[in-house]
Amino acid sequence: MLSRRNFLGTATALAGAAAISGRAQAASIPEAPTMEKTSMQPPLHPSSGPDYNPVVTLNGWTLPWRMNGDWKEFHLVAEPVEREFAEGMKAHLWGYNGQSPGPTIECVEGDKLRIFVTNKLPEATTVHWHGVILPCGMDGVGGLSQPHIPVGKTFVYEFEMKHSGTFMYHPHSDEMVQMAMGMMGMIVVHPRDRSFRAVDRDFVFIMSSYLIDPGTFLPKVTEMTNFNMWTWNSRVFPGIDVMPVRLGDKVRVRIGNLTMTNHPIHLHGHKFAVSCTDGGWVPESAAWPETTTDVPVGAIRAFDFLADNPGDWAFHCHKSHHTMNAMGHDMVNLIGVSKKDIAKALGKVAPDGMAMGSTGMAMGEMEMPMPDNTLPMMTGSGQFGPIEMGGMFTVVKIRDGLARDDYRDPGPYQFPKGTVAWEVQTPQATPARQDGGKPPAKQMPKTMNHKGMKGM
Amino acid sequence: MKTSPRIDRRYRSLLRSGSAVIALVLLAGCASFSPDKGMSVVAGVADAAIRKDVIAIRSEDDARFAEETVAKLKSRVLTVESSVQIALLNNRGLQAAYNELALAEADMVADSLPPNPSFSVSRSVSGGSVEVSRQVAGDILAIATLPFRSEIARERFKRAQLAAAEQTLRLAADVRDAFYRATGANELVAVLTEAKTIAETTAQLATKLGETGSLNKLDQARQQAFYAETTADLASARQDASSSRERLIRLLGLWGRDTDIRIPGRLPQLPRRPDTLPLIEVQAVERRLDLQMARIDLLALAKSLELTQATRFVTLLDMSASQSKELGTPNRSRSVGIDFQIPIFDGGEVRVRQSAEIYNQAFNLLTEKAVNVRSEARDAFRTYRSAYDIALQYQREVLPLRKVISDELQLRYSSMQIDVFALVVEATARIAAQRAGVAAKRDFWLANSTLLTAVNGGGRGESQSQTTGTTTAQASAGGGQR
Repeated sequence: MLSRRNFLGTATALAGAAAISGRAQAASIPEAPTMEKTSMQPPLHPSSGPDYNPVVTLNGWTLPWRMNGDWKEFHLVAEPVEREFAEGMKAHLWGYNGQSPGPTIECVEGDKLRIFVTNKLPEATTVHWHGVILPCGMDGVGGLSQPHIPVGKTFVYEFEMKHSGTFMYHPHSDEMVQMAMGMMGMIVVHPRDRSFRAVDRDFVFIMSSYLIDPGTFLPKVTEMTNFNMWTWNSRVFPGIDVMPVRLGDKVRVRIGNLTMTNHPIHLHGHKFAVSCTDGGWVPESAAWPETTTDVPVGAIRAFDFLADNPGDWAFHCHKSHHTMNAMGHDMVNLIGVSKKDIAKALGKVAPDGMAMGSTGMAMGEMEMPMPDNTLPMMTGSGQFGPIEMGGMFTVVKIRDGLARDDYRDPGPYQFPKGTVAWEVQTPQATPARQDGGKPPAKQMPKTMNHKGMKGM
Repeated sequence: MKTSPRIDRRYRSLLRSGSAVIALVLLAGCASFSPDKGMSVVAGVADAAIRKDVIAIRSEDDARFAEETVAKLKSRVLTVESSVQIALLNNRGLQAAYNELALAEADMVADSLPPNPSFSVSRSVSGGSVEVSRQVAGDILAIATLPFRSEIARERFKRAQLAAAEQTLRLAADVRDAFYRATGANELVAVLTEAKTIAETTAQLATKLGETGSLNKLDQARQQAFYAETTADLASARQDASSSRERLIRLLGLWGRDTDIRIPGRLPQLPRRPDTLPLIEVQAVERRLDLQMARIDLLALAKSLELTQATRFVTLLDMSASQSKELGTPNRSRSVGIDFQIPIFDGGEVRVRQSAEIYNQAFNLLTEKAVNVRSEARDAFRTYRSAYDIALQYQREVLPLRKVISDELQLRYSSMQIDVFALVVEATARIAAQRAGVAAKRDFWLANSTLLTAVNGGGRGESQSQTTGTTTAQASAGGGQR
């Protein structure tokens, strides 16, 4: 990754200098910082302009800017990147400034933004500032409101952030391909009044999905429904950062959805209320309590909650196959057939394969041989054993006594004695049933039983 | 040859010259029986071409030697070499061919001896007198042409030796062919036996899945069909193995308890690299036995043409000496007679023309054969090369790739990308590739054998027929196809 980044970075710098010379003064274009780390970077506190309480981006970072007069200047470079989805699997994507998704752009309500966009992709692109109210010519729809940004060229967008809230950015030029390749990022506009709907911890991520066949690296951009990688910030469990929270903190989570389906996002152990959409702030009086909120396609949801219940709390999309990594779907259900029978059949067709599935798909702690560059369908382990999850899943870790900007993983929760579900000592007997009887007789479907040639 | 002491002087010189002719004939090499009955040539060819011992079994010692050698070779798993050796010692048809050779030698010896004179005594009664006449007759022409005929007979014998040698090579070729077919069939049986156990267990799994409610009748039927078809394939492969084993047993001349031969379960590996035979045409033209025989035929025909021309005006010359006596009278009469058949009407022209045309025909046939031998040698070599390349392609590319596919699918199965029946689909493809690989390897070995016969002779249409599978090793090796 490092070498690739270096290579790309150098190429970008050289080509970039060549591309902009003559068109504008090189000095007037701000630096385009890049990021190599895939872990959550500490919040970027503003060093210029109005102050605000910055967000942290799950497995991501915030794009630094420079002030130029009263303009905040950012520089996005659209380019191919390599993204690790979790340890053991890398994807060849397109992104911004070394990452997919691109860095989070943070600013303050009323800021004047000048965003330079350099195109280092093999095809034209544009950037659409999703949800931001701006002049039409800055909306980034290629062909409609601006020319496409040709390969190697740099365009600049200028607009004022009139509304605080949470937004996204993504291409509007060959957008099906470019979004399927991972071109997207989040925009957070803080209220100018720091006390407006203030929270202590503010997490942000964007959801995207990919189909990457085991053993390959490029997403299949023509896939519309059957994705096998459901990601938060292009990471899948167990590659997704945990969300450390200090007990008693007010927490906000901002979620963008650029997949092609909705995601019912569910937090355990707490109730929350949606506080913001990409349309603006939801009045506190209008919020209703939820533990799951559906994030529609092409929308953002931010919800706030009080972290008043210490522990390790699962936080995930409630579509169960979205908490799985790569898996096949055209599979016969082996439940009810003895493991021995399956092992026998499998031993014949695949002497090195493993028998599984006769009691369900739970693979527990099995060490499974896998094709190159893919991830176990369900994986991860906690202090009590395998977690058997993948995809859009992480853990909100609420602990007493964390420092304000401490986002390090505090480790597994120390459960107070006697507070974990335990096994009851009972004799191994059939549980009593109300009708005193047997389970309903199963109706056996007809089976075939053609013997082969006798004596063969 | 006995002549009457009272033959008229006038004829003595004639007779003397006849004696001279006979003496000449005897000097010229009156053939005698060879100690080996002509087997040395056969043994030489067998040694040079296929490096095997041959014996014509004529004594108890021979028989014991053959029996012991066969028993020793048979006690181990057969190889193509040991099979050929067993057949050469044990095949009765081949021994019969060697008997034929001995007969040809007898014919040669007979042809190289002067004709025996005929001697007749007759008694006739006329009126009151009884006449007794004695006659000694000899075929003068036969004597005169003895050198020619003797030489022709020798050539014929040489031809018979080559024919016996060719029959030896042909048997060897047939044995090789039968061996490779039997071994290949065994290997195929092994592949299909494995396939059948795969099909059987998956069919059982399908049945169980039908019981749990996971597999519909359509998919159950598909698995059962795979099982049923594989079973049928295995049955015909076993039949094929059994038939080719019997064919080998026949060629080895085995019967009774001796049929308990052990044929290997796998074909031999391919050689590291194929032979390059840049001089194959030359070698074939030099070595092919059928071509050598055709040359001898031509030589013999040339000699008989010469003979015909030499005798065109005198086709039959009979000399007789007779003596008659009337019993009861002192009169004796002696006579010497010579009969000539004088070709007044055709001047011998018809026979000369016939001979000439027969000679020309033989010449053309020899030329044609030489052309064919060259082409067959080239064809056999190219077939051998392509059979090698095809078999190698299976061994070096197709089967390893199928292994990669199989391994990768197993990984996909383990990571739950595909289910067990996807593995079954792959297994069927793998089995098909293995079958084709076995067929390709067998076809290579058959082509290898065909190449041997294309250079040395002994090939025949029969063994070329039933090649199946993906490759065609059907080079007609061709001697003796005219």
